[in-house]
Amino acid sequence: MLKKYIISFLFVFLQYLVASQNAAAIDYKAYGFIQPEITTFFNGDGRHDQSNSNQSIFVKGTFITYLNNGDQKITINTTGRIDEKDSERSYIDFQKFKYEQYFDDITLKIGNELIFWGVNESFNIVDIINQSNLAEDISGTKKFGQQMISLNYNHSYGNFDLFIMPFFKERIFPGRNGRPRLALEVDKSTVAYESSSKKNKIDAAVRYSTVYDDYDIGIAHFYGNNRSPELNVNPLSQKLDAYYPILSQTSLDIQSTKGAWLYKLETLTAKNGEERHFGIAGGTEYTIYGLRETTSDLGIIVEYTFDDRNDFAFNNEGVLALRWTKNDIKSTSLLAGLVADMSGSSNRFFAEFEQRIRDDLKVFIDMSINGEIDADDFTYAFEEDSQLTLKIAKYF
Amino acid sequence: MKFAKIIFIIFALFPFYLSAETAEEQGLRIAKASYENGRGFTDMVSDQLMILIDPKGNEVTREVSSKTLENLDPNDGDKSLTYFKTPKDVEGTVMLSHTHISDDDDQWLYLPALGRVKRISSSNKSGAFMGSEVAFEDFSGTDYRKYEWKFLGEEMENNETFYKLESYPNYENSGYSKRISLIDNLNRAYKVDFYDRKGELLKTLYLEDYVLYKDKIWMANTMKVENIQNKNITIFKWLNRELDVGINKKDFEKSSILRLAD
Repeated sequence: MLKKYIISFLFVFLQYLVASQNAAAIDYKAYGFIQPEITTFFNGDGRHDQSNSNQSIFVKGTFITYLNNGDQKITINTTGRIDEKDSERSYIDFQKFKYEQYFDDITLKIGNELIFWGVNESFNIVDIINQSNLAEDISGTKKFGQQMISLNYNHSYGNFDLFIMPFFKERIFPGRNGRPRLALEVDKSTVAYESSSKKNKIDAAVRYSTVYDDYDIGIAHFYGNNRSPELNVNPLSQKLDAYYPILSQTSLDIQSTKGAWLYKLETLTAKNGEERHFGIAGGTEYTIYGLRETTSDLGIIVEYTFDDRNDFAFNNEGVLALRWTKNDIKSTSLLAGLVADMSGSSNRFFAEFEQRIRDDLKVFIDMSINGEIDADDFTYAFEEDSQLTLKIAKYF
Repeated sequence: MKFAKIIFIIFALFPFYLSAETAEEQGLRIAKASYENGRGFTDMVSDQLMILIDPKGNEVTREVSSKTLENLDPNDGDKSLTYFKTPKDVEGTVMLSHTHISDDDDQWLYLPALGRVKRISSSNKSGAFMGSEVAFEDFSGTDYRKYEWKFLGEEMENNETFYKLESYPNYENSGYSKRISLIDNLNRAYKVDFYDRKGELLKTLYLEDYVLYKDKIWMANTMKVENIQNKNITIFKWLNRELDVGINKKDFEKSSILRLAD
């Protein structure tokens, strides 16, 4: 309810700001794309009787305007999807819908925002502000906007950020027809919280970040509803009940850039409900520029993540990937690699190809092939979901 | 007057001093003068058009806009912030670069598709800028101290006399073994031939449309690069160039990238 008030307040405020400007045309940028997608699955119907194909349309629109000689900025960034098979995957989200006021060393920000913390390519364990949309992408890298009031203080010693986040958004999981999906459905009617304020709990975070020579460093603390719920099988409904504990997490992320070598580290210690856990993820990326006297580059990425919770999905995983960038007029690139569970036999191969085929058209081909997965691994539910997706984005 | 006599002697010796200058010293002196021709701008904003032409004559145009902050410390490089407008799929991309004279540059990139600011390696000196014939080192390597110089003599071209200089990069990972530059009598670079690592002629850069700013700064508003080996041509044009506009230094910090980002 309050959320609606804030959105309408922002709309009215936007109108006020626009109206208060000179009658002359307002300087703004507006752009976006529409992206039809077709997916085919290699192993016929899924383990949970899902279809062997899917079609989907993804859209993204961006609007930015600066007011009062650049002292104020309004950003709207909307994403949405219409999915043929999975209703949980159809959504619209204001990832960014924010008003910013710039003072000399201080930035005040109100509205929806996406905040990314971390340095790794694959395991961004310290990234905690925004909720994941697992229906959109099971790996959790696709996020929803988070309502917040935020202050940034830019001091010569570094940047200090404060985030106050009044509304919590529950995690979205793939629905019954989603592919891949969890073995059981997540019951939306039984969601429970540790906090008595439930989703109205006001979450908070602070972060200090700085650049020192070759090092980019971030130290942060988050206190609020964990974005990642515990999922427990309800023996009566045979569905999963989601429970959101209160998370108090302190994290550190560092990147060191030494010529063609990048060294990355993310680490955290957190109290999740009553339990304390520790996580660390990091690795290296080395790039060969001008591969074999051509203009193309080849990057080699090796990353590893560890978490001391035995029941945690990613407690001992490694990634080995190659990124080939042709640096041609079409911006051709290919990222391919292997994600392996170091303590089991579960592994997955992936490849992502992209190329601009016209000034306003880009084609993406994503492939994901699952190896044999241990029956006790939670990704066993996805074992038969090896897939190939073709996406074509039309920019405007 | 003793003082006048000393002055006289200095002047009398001057031609001798000139001829005593080695080819390396003379090359360095001209290169330095040519470099300093473009200094003193304090800060700069401009829009840039990049036209890429393939051997069949097919053309595509790329647009960026940029801000540059001159580093008043002569021993450190300038800072620049580049905003990419086209092709449309890269619209909203922002690149921040802190150049250094002896060290690797510091570079950060904001990519809208990722929604994050990444520190990137700047070792890709010979890499192509947006699929063009312009390499990253062609932008960051304009400081004369990044090269060893040698004066080769004077050369006539189009009825004009130019100083002919040879230079060798003294930083790592350059895609060039040497460059041959023609500099006019106002110390403005007119043409540069780039030789690849094998010593073969790779490309020729022509600097055109020189404009005199603030009565002392010469800047070329068109750069044309002809790749001799793959026959591609890149034309780089500066539009709406303004100098000394009073940009805030803090705009060139990593945290300010998000003020430009979408």
